[in-house]
Amino acid sequence: MSSSELLQFLISGLQSGAIYALVGLGFTLVYASTGIINFAQGEFFMLGGVLAVAGVRIGLPLPLAIVAAVVISAGVGVAMERIALRPRRDSGALVLIIITIGVSMVLKSVARHAFGPNEMALPAFTPGPPVLLLGAAIDRQVLWIWGLTLVAVIGLTLLYTRTRLGRAMRATSLSHDAARLMGIDTAGVVMISFGLAAALGALGGAAVAPLTQTAFDAGARAGLKGFAAAILGGLGNPIAAVLGGLVLGVLESLSVAFISSTYKDAISLVLLLAVLFLRPQGLLGKSGREKV
Amino acid sequence: MSRRLVGTIAPVLAVMVVLALPLVTTDRYLFKVLTFVGLNLIVVAGLALLFGYAGQISLGHAAFFGIGAYTVGYLTADGAVPWLIATLAATVLAALVGFTLALPMLRLKGHYLGMATLGFSEIMTVLFVEARGITGGNDGLRGIPYPVLGPFKIATPGGVYLLVWITAIIVLVLAGNLVRTRPGRALRALHGAELGAQACGIDTGRLRVQVFALSAGLAGLAGALYASSVGYVSPTTFSLEFSVLLVAMIVLGGTGSIAGPVAACVGLTLLPYVDALIPGLPREAVSFLQDWEADIAGIVMILVLLFAPGGVAGLIRSMTRAGDSR
Amino acid sequence: MTVLATRGLSRRFGGLVAVDDVSFDVHAGMIKALIGPNGAGKSTLFNLLTGFDRPDAGDISFLGASILGWAPHRVVRAGIARTFQNTQLFDEMTVAENVLVGMHTCLRAGFAEGSLRLPATKASERAAVEQACRLLRLVGADRFADSPGADVPHGVRRLVEIARALASNPKLLLLDEPAAGLNNAETHALATCLRRIQADGTTILIVEHDMGLVMEISDEIIVLDRGRKIAEGPPLLIQKDAAVIEAYLGEVIADA
Repeated sequence: MSSSELLQFLISGLQSGAIYALVGLGFTLVYASTGIINFAQGEFFMLGGVLAVAGVRIGLPLPLAIVAAVVISAGVGVAMERIALRPRRDSGALVLIIITIGVSMVLKSVARHAFGPNEMALPAFTPGPPVLLLGAAIDRQVLWIWGLTLVAVIGLTLLYTRTRLGRAMRATSLSHDAARLMGIDTAGVVMISFGLAAALGALGGAAVAPLTQTAFDAGARAGLKGFAAAILGGLGNPIAAVLGGLVLGVLESLSVAFISSTYKDAISLVLLLAVLFLRPQGLLGKSGREKV
Repeated sequence: MSRRLVGTIAPVLAVMVVLALPLVTTDRYLFKVLTFVGLNLIVVAGLALLFGYAGQISLGHAAFFGIGAYTVGYLTADGAVPWLIATLAATVLAALVGFTLALPMLRLKGHYLGMATLGFSEIMTVLFVEARGITGGNDGLRGIPYPVLGPFKIATPGGVYLLVWITAIIVLVLAGNLVRTRPGRALRALHGAELGAQACGIDTGRLRVQVFALSAGLAGLAGALYASSVGYVSPTTFSLEFSVLLVAMIVLGGTGSIAGPVAACVGLTLLPYVDALIPGLPREAVSFLQDWEADIAGIVMILVLLFAPGGVAGLIRSMTRAGDSR
Repeated sequence: MTVLATRGLSRRFGGLVAVDDVSFDVHAGMIKALIGPNGAGKSTLFNLLTGFDRPDAGDISFLGASILGWAPHRVVRAGIARTFQNTQLFDEMTVAENVLVGMHTCLRAGFAEGSLRLPATKASERAAVEQACRLLRLVGADRFADSPGADVPHGVRRLVEIARALASNPKLLLLDEPAAGLNNAETHALATCLRRIQADGTTILIVEHDMGLVMEISDEIIVLDRGRKIAEGPPLLIQKDAAVIEAYLGEVIADA
C-alpha cells in the first residue's frame, strides 16, 4: 500500500473518529453528572442529521437548518431528562437504563413517522472539489467535521475550566451531595448536561450527514461507537473521550485497509467488547475505582 | 374463591383453551399470529428468569433467537439433518454462545452489561448479513422445511401452532417450577442483595452464567421453531427492536413474576395483529397499530417505569393485597 | 479442638492498616467476642474470614485446613456462615424465603431438578420450609415469616439474618453486631437464643458493642484497637486489662 493510500485511510479514520468523539463526549457529560449511561445518546446523532435535512427541505438556509437541528435536539435532551428520568432519579441502574432505551425507541420511531424510512442527504456545507494533501484527497466536509469537533472540544474545555457553570458541573460529577451543600443547583447541572450531550451528538449527526447520508435508524450504531469511544478513553473524562474516538476511528479505518471492509462495524464492536471485558475503566482510566 | 385456587385453575383453563383451539377453528391467519405469540412466550420465559428474577439486563436476545433460526435453516436445508436434531443443536448452540458471552460479562453490571449485550447484538447483526455462505446475506434463507417428528410432517398452520404452544407451555411450566425451588430463590436472592446471596453460599458468578446461558438457549429454541414454522429467515427479523420489544414485555409484565410477562407478551405480540382476534376491525386501525408498534412499546416501557414500576404483576399483587386486608 | 485459627492476618487500604498482624484461635463450642472502638477493624476482619475480602498477609485455617483466598460461597459450604452489620436481606422475598435461601448449600436441586419438581425435590422443599419455620422460631422472628423482607423492623432484620445464616448448618457462626437496634427485652431474648445455638454445637464469633451482652454470653474476648489485637482472654480478665480500659472499656464503663 502506498503512503498516500495509507494517508487516505488515516484521514477517513480521523473523520469518523471525530464523529465518534462528539457522540462519546455526550456519553461522558451525562455520565459525569448523573452516573447514567444514556442509551438514547445515539438518537441525538440521528436527530441532528434528519432535522437538518428537514430544515433544508422546508427552505431554511443550511447554516440555520443546522443550528435549528442542534437546538431542537438539545431541547429534546433536556425534555427527556425532565420528563422521563428525573422522576426516577433515585431508582437503580436497571430502571434508568430501560427508561433511556424506551426514549431511544420512541425517538427513532417518531423520526421514522416524521421523516420516512429512506436515507436522506444533507448538502455539503461548502461545496467544491476535495483538498489535496500529500497525494491524498480530503473532502471539504471532512475539514468541517474536524473544525467543528475542535471548536466543540475547545468550547467544552473552556466551559469546564473557566466558567462557574463548568465548575458546578465538575463539582457535581464528584459528589452530588457535596455540590448541593456548596449551593450548586445540581438539578440544573444535570439538565444542562443532557442538553449539551444531545447538542454534541446532533452536531456530529449534522456534520457527517453530507458524507454518509442519514436515516431514522442511524442512531443505534452511532451510539454504540460513541460509547466505545467514551469507554476506550475511560468514562467521565472529556479529553479521553475525544482521544478514544480518534483512536477508534483510525483503528476501524486501518482494519478496513488491512483486514476487511465487510466487517468494519463488527471489528470496532469487538474492540468495544474487548475493552469492556478487559479494562472497563478505559485505557486511560485509573483502575480500582469501580463504578460498574 | 381463594387466590391459590384461582392460581391453579386459571393456567389449566388457559392450557385447555389453547389446546382445543384447532378443534373449533381453521383460521390460518389466527394460527399464524398465535404461533408468533407462542414463540415469543418461549423467549420471554427465559428473559423473565434472566431479567425479571435475576435482574440481569440483555439487549441481545434477538441475536440468540437469530442464532437458533439460522442454525435450523442451515442444517435442515435439503433435509440434511433431521428437524429434531437441528432444533436441539440450535438450542444448544445459542446456549453455548450465551455461556461464552456471559463468562467475560461477569465483571460487568447494570449499564455496562446493557452495552455489552447491545454490542454483541450489533456484531451478530453484521454477521447475519455478511456471513453469506451460512446466512444467505440480505436475502436470508428460504425454503426451510416444516418440522418433522418421526413419521409426522407438521405442515399445517394449526399443527405448527400446536407444536409451538405445547413447547411454550412446557417451557413455562418448567420456568414456573424453577422459580419456586432452590435455583429460582437463588436468582431472586442474586437480584435482591448480592452480598447476602454470597453469604448464603450461592456461587453468584456461576449462577449468572447459568441463567444467561439458559435464557439464550430458550431464545435459540424459539428461533429454531420460528425458522421451521415460517419457512424462511432474513436478518431484519433479529434486530435490536425485537430485543427491546422483548425487554418491554418483561418491564410491562413486571419483575419477579412469570405470569405477568406472559400476559404482557400475549398483549404486546397480539397488538399489531388484533384483526386476527376481532375480524371486523377496519384496515386503517390495524395498520396504524402496526406502524406505531415500536412507539407504543417504548412509551409503555417509560410509562410503566414512571408510574407502575411493578408492571402488571405488581398491580395485581397490590390489588390482591388490598383485597386481603379488607 | 480449634475451629478457626488466624495467623498474622493483615489488610491495608492505601496507607491505612485496617487489620494489623492479627492472630487468634476460636475453639469448638465457645462463644468468642470481638470488641473494640469503631474503626478498630472488626468488620474488615469479618470480611477477611468469610472471603469477602482478601488479606495482604497471613493465613486463615478452618478445621485445620487453610481457606485463604476462598470465594465467599466456598467458605459457607465449608461451614462458616455470617451476618452483616448492614443487613443484607432480600427485601422482595418473604422472611421465610430469606431463610430458605440460606439453606442453599444444604439443598441439592439444580436447574434441571428444580424445573421438573420431581417428588424428591418437592419432599426436600417441604422439609426445608419446616426447617425454616423452626429456625425463625429459634431466633424469635416467626411471626414475620410471611412478611416481605423490606417490611420487617430493623432489629428483627438482624434476627432473620441469624436464622438465615444458621440455615446453612454452619459449624462456625459469625455475627456482626446482632444486638444493634434491639431493646433490653429483645437483647435478653437474643442472649438466650445464642446460648441455645451454642448448645446445639455451633461455635460463635460475635462482634458486638453491647458490653452487657458480651460479658454475659462470651467465653472469651478479643480486643482490637486500630487493627491490632491488644488483649485476649476471658471476660473477667479483659474487664481488668489496663490497655483495654484505656483504649475502649474505660469510656464505656464510665458512660454506664
